[in-house]
Amino acid sequence: MEPAAVLDMELKLLLEAIYLRFHYDFREYSIASLRRRVAQAMIQLNCPSVSRLQEKLLHDPDAFPALLQYMTVQVSDMFRDPSYWRSMRQLVLPVLGTYPSLKMWIAGCSTGEEVYSLCILLREEGLLDRSLVYATDINAESLRRAQSGVFEMERVARFSHAYREAGGRGSLADYYTAAYESAVFDKTLVKNVVFSDHSLATDSVFSEVQLVSCRNVLIYFNTSLQERAIRLFSDSLVRKGFLGLGSRESLRSIATGMAFDEVVREDRIFQKL
Amino acid sequence: MAATQTENTRAEAGQLPRSTSAGLATALLAILLIGVLAWRSLEQVSQANTWVAHTQDVLEVTANLLNLMVDAETGERGYLLTRDEKYLQPYETSITAMPQELTHFRSLTVDNGPQTQRADRLRDLLDRRNGQLRNTVTLCHSGKWDEAREQINSGAGRETMLQIRAVVKEMQDEERRLLAIRQADFQRTSNISTAISLGGAAFLFVLLLLAIVLVRRDFLARGMEAWLRTGENGFVNKLPGEQDAQVLSQSALDYLCDYLGATAGAAYVAEPDGTLIRRATFAWTTAAGEREVFKPREGFIGQAAWEKRLLHIGDVPRDYAKASSGLGEHVVRELLIAPAMVDGLVTAVLELGFFRTVQRHDLDLLELSGEPLSIALRTAQYRARLEALLEETQRQAEELQTQQEELRVSNEELEEQSRALRESQARLEMQQSDLAQSNAQLELQKSQVETAQKVLTRKNEELMQADQYKSEFLANMSHELRTPLNSSLILAKLLSENRTGNLTVEQVKFADTIYGAGNDLLNLINDILDLSKIEAGKMEVRAERIGLQALAETLRRQFQPVADQKRLRLVTTIAESAPPDMETDAQRLQQILKNLLSNAFKFTDAGEISLRIAGDSERLSFEVKDSGIGIAQENHGLVFDAFKQVEGTSSRKYGGTGLGLSISRDLARLLGGDIALTSSAGKGSTFTLELPRKHAASTQTRQQPERQTPTPPPPARPARAAQTLAAAQVSTAENGAAVNSRRILVIEDDQGFSDAVVSIAKELDFDCLVANTADGGFELALHEQPSGIVLDVRLPDHSGLSVLDRLKRNAKTRHIPVHVVSGADYTQAALQMGAVGYALKPVARSELTNALRQLVTKAEQKGRRILIVEDDAVQRDSLSKLLSSEGVQIIVAGTAAEASEKLRQTTFDCMVLDLSLPDQSGYQLLETMAKDEELAFPPVIVYTGRSLDREEEEKLRRFSSSIIIKGARSPERLLDEVTLFLHQVETKMPPERQRMLKEARDSESLFEGRRILLVEDDVRNIFALSSVLEPKGAQVEIARNGREALDHLLQKPGVDLVLMDIMMPEMDGYTAMREIRKNAEWTKLPIIALTAKAMRDDQEKCMDAGANDYVAKPIDVDKLLSLLRVWLPR
Repeated sequence: MEPAAVLDMELKLLLEAIYLRFHYDFREYSIASLRRRVAQAMIQLNCPSVSRLQEKLLHDPDAFPALLQYMTVQVSDMFRDPSYWRSMRQLVLPVLGTYPSLKMWIAGCSTGEEVYSLCILLREEGLLDRSLVYATDINAESLRRAQSGVFEMERVARFSHAYREAGGRGSLADYYTAAYESAVFDKTLVKNVVFSDHSLATDSVFSEVQLVSCRNVLIYFNTSLQERAIRLFSDSLVRKGFLGLGSRESLRSIATGMAFDEVVREDRIFQKL
Repeated sequence: MAATQTENTRAEAGQLPRSTSAGLATALLAILLIGVLAWRSLEQVSQANTWVAHTQDVLEVTANLLNLMVDAETGERGYLLTRDEKYLQPYETSITAMPQELTHFRSLTVDNGPQTQRADRLRDLLDRRNGQLRNTVTLCHSGKWDEAREQINSGAGRETMLQIRAVVKEMQDEERRLLAIRQADFQRTSNISTAISLGGAAFLFVLLLLAIVLVRRDFLARGMEAWLRTGENGFVNKLPGEQDAQVLSQSALDYLCDYLGATAGAAYVAEPDGTLIRRATFAWTTAAGEREVFKPREGFIGQAAWEKRLLHIGDVPRDYAKASSGLGEHVVRELLIAPAMVDGLVTAVLELGFFRTVQRHDLDLLELSGEPLSIALRTAQYRARLEALLEETQRQAEELQTQQEELRVSNEELEEQSRALRESQARLEMQQSDLAQSNAQLELQKSQVETAQKVLTRKNEELMQADQYKSEFLANMSHELRTPLNSSLILAKLLSENRTGNLTVEQVKFADTIYGAGNDLLNLINDILDLSKIEAGKMEVRAERIGLQALAETLRRQFQPVADQKRLRLVTTIAESAPPDMETDAQRLQQILKNLLSNAFKFTDAGEISLRIAGDSERLSFEVKDSGIGIAQENHGLVFDAFKQVEGTSSRKYGGTGLGLSISRDLARLLGGDIALTSSAGKGSTFTLELPRKHAASTQTRQQPERQTPTPPPPARPARAAQTLAAAQVSTAENGAAVNSRRILVIEDDQGFSDAVVSIAKELDFDCLVANTADGGFELALHEQPSGIVLDVRLPDHSGLSVLDRLKRNAKTRHIPVHVVSGADYTQAALQMGAVGYALKPVARSELTNALRQLVTKAEQKGRRILIVEDDAVQRDSLSKLLSSEGVQIIVAGTAAEASEKLRQTTFDCMVLDLSLPDQSGYQLLETMAKDEELAFPPVIVYTGRSLDREEEEKLRRFSSSIIIKGARSPERLLDEVTLFLHQVETKMPPERQRMLKEARDSESLFEGRRILLVEDDVRNIFALSSVLEPKGAQVEIARNGREALDHLLQKPGVDLVLMDIMMPEMDGYTAMREIRKNAEWTKLPIIALTAKAMRDDQEKCMDAGANDYVAKPIDVDKLLSLLRVWLPR
């Protein structure tokens, strides 16, 4: 048997083990990505083979949290793809403003950059006080960091630039306090945010929302899991609710049955029919 | 420090300390000096002593010499006197001893010149005396006594003796002088010697004392030194490298407190900006208001750091600081605040408190500890920084990698997408090439066709023109014809009625004939008009659902009298395989079939006429077969041509315009089908109408404008249509399309009653379905979706009330209004179960008519009427314009009172409500609507310019599921929501109905009156769960998050069970459950967790937090109910 085939087999077993032992379901994640992530984790956790990693995982209680950091890719920026946020501000929020109270869901919020971006937008549009934002992720460590609202100062410079491009009304500095090479964002921004552990692979709808923003998450899923996630979004959204995806993601490859309109094609903003 | 070190090295080398050795050397020198001095003075004393003895000796010898001389003289004299020889003895002895004595004397005085001279003189004198004596003696001996006496008497001897005595005296005086001198000398030297001894001893004593003091001091210093060194070494050993500032300062503090015997202590570590933060404490009693952070110069801590020196605060005030143990506490007496520095930088400050007095060495040790602690801290900081840098580098590397990962993954995603795209593109390309090929062929054909078409178009235009003229002419003509014809018809009718009774039977018959001929003429004109309309393409199709059974029944009933009259048999059959209904223009279909049937009756004199309906889900066929004269094969083509008849005589014999078939075929084609004919002369004929089951263009025709009718304009309300007289037949037919969409289902086993209902329904132009049994009725209602139901209570299989119950429980039939009729009075029960009306048998015809009308009104209103309640006129107008569309009636109200009035009068499908009204708030209006049974409660859309707080929103939510805040994009959403309400299947019950149902449905006694607290923030779930639980009799109370739930439980005790969502704002479900369980009162309160998480450990997590059970979202209602049954306390 070819080594690559053996590796894939081990990988499958590993994912099964993770599912059985820790109830994290990575079985339907994109296999190409998982191969690389697990290879990376093997180096860092000092395991010569996937099977060895599996053994360590099952017997060493500290191993899984460490592995989890590799299994999920935590890459995010505030106001990433500024035009997405500009469209949100110009086209989506005015419609959401007609609801007396709003609920939004940031699925796969990672370390919170999107959450803060959205909350800043909501505050500037005067909607923050009547909004409730659910920020979910499967990685508890990321959630904790998201909740803390602390970002490295060097990144914040980048955020500021994106914020201006996204049509920010003030200066990003209005929202944070700099201390020791870090920026601590205003806690009142996330006062109405519920940070919670939620898996798009195993969990179900938890609330009715008017907006789902799930950016650069679906790319890590295989087609059937992508479909499950989109169905979850569709079920969560109110009629005419909005769905925002990442710049490389689309609903095109998803099997139909869930009707969405394209609101802004280039920014991947859709509206449930 | 340097000195101490040198001392140390000396001590290590086995040397004495310098002061000690200097002291010892001094002592040695002093002893040597004192020894020399003492020896010398002793020497002097002994010398003086010798001299004294010497003098004594000299004196003694002198005295001896004198004595000897005296003895010798005495002996001589004695001899002389006595002449006895025996007296000569002393003389002899002295004379012999004299020389020896003299020599001795000489030796004694040899050192003293004068004395020696005197001794010599004495010797001479002695010798002389001796000689005198000897002479005397010799003379005596010789007997010369006189002479000897002479000689003595001469005095020479005495002279000599005197001289001797003088010399001796001189000598003795000399010696005595010498002795005095020597004795004084001796005394002096003796004194000096004593002084030296005493002084030396005293000096030595002092030296010794000094030495003792020095040695003691040295010893003590060494002990302290050792203590300090041990302390310092121990301290340094306590500071291993692998520690962070916290651990480091803690172990340093622990050690120092321990070693110094401090009773309390704290360590403050300096941050890069100089701020001092407490990192470690020792036996510290935390007091309220104490600080943990100090800026430079702030407090003693900051001051010590700023001044870089140790602060010693003795005599600490009594309440300043205390050290305590379990047994008690004691005031700290003294405080030491010591900065730890390296290279002049303060890295930490230690604060130590003592019960005892602080000693110098305490300070020393603290000062000594400063540097190693600082170095350790700095090292720790360096290490931390290094580690941070390393981590940073690693993190950056990893981040880079994850970013790459994202890029890769998204690239893969793109690749996947583009692969899919390529595939579909390839497919498309292939299809395109196929298309291109066929295109080319088509192109060729097209050009040919185009040429032909051009010719045709021209022809067509000409024809159209002619047609137009014809239509106009016909329309005008028919109008011109109808008006006088109508008059003559009415007059003929009046005549034939012979009200005055003055006409003969003959005349009445004539009048009847005129009326009949007039009617024929009218039909002819209508036919011509129809035909022209069809040909002009002005005929519209209004497709709707038609029940085939009902259709056949209608036709049968219409033609039965004709059949009876002509003694023909009329058979209508529907094939078993045929579907129950179809969708087409009912009026046109009836027109065709009536035409065919009347043709059949017309050309048949004996035998039977049959109508057979068959078909499948796609197409239907209606076969009209007669046993009449038949049509010869060669004439088959002609029968459908307008204005042509098979033979000139036929028309005369059978009457009619001959336009019927032609119109029928055109209509059939209009409906998407056709009519086929099989017949031969004399053998009867079969006309088969084939139609698609669903009319293709059914949706488009709806929006076409009302067509013009040449007849007097028909009344808008079909209810009144039935009452118009002469034109009834025509107008009913014209309006039938709208009317027939309404269908009444009669569930009744009493044939007579059902016939009566059917006839009334027919009068009102409804489709009427009849079911004889309860089950059949329910099935029909489910499948046929009638717009109203007339229901008898007594049915052969079940009670009508059970049907009513089933109807109201099924979402698909719930909305259908039901009118109950019965022999017995079940009014209350029926109304409670949701019937709209009740009638007791026997029912008057008018009552039945009204009941049907009521049903119709209910049904008719469906999706048609919107009430806009808005006080601002401009806004009201613009809303009306926004929402107005075909078939939507908009009614406006400017005040709440007006709105109530409108709601009392009629029902609406949807209500758009502004919250600010002049007389009442919109909310109050809603409350009134909810309370007042007479007011209808349509779905409400709240459309307001005010933003709402959560409470207001929640209050409104009870009445309205959609609330829109006015804004730039709100009209869009309003239109959207309204459209939704108008088009949605009415499965959601209005609140009033809900309430009735709530009462009607069997409320489970277990749930009756139980208070269930639903902790959930999702409105959708709140609605869903409330609508399940409330009908069961449970009282559902809502809390929107964990915090509210706790408050609710506190403020309104007595909740029976809690349904707890997990993901909520402010306080999540886990926390809330844990909080609930902390309260002793609520330990037994059943809690069922509702969570979107599906995994087993999530369930465990819920249980751990205190839930009794768990339901996964989306919630399975049956499962929830059974859980509630389990957990609700009995």
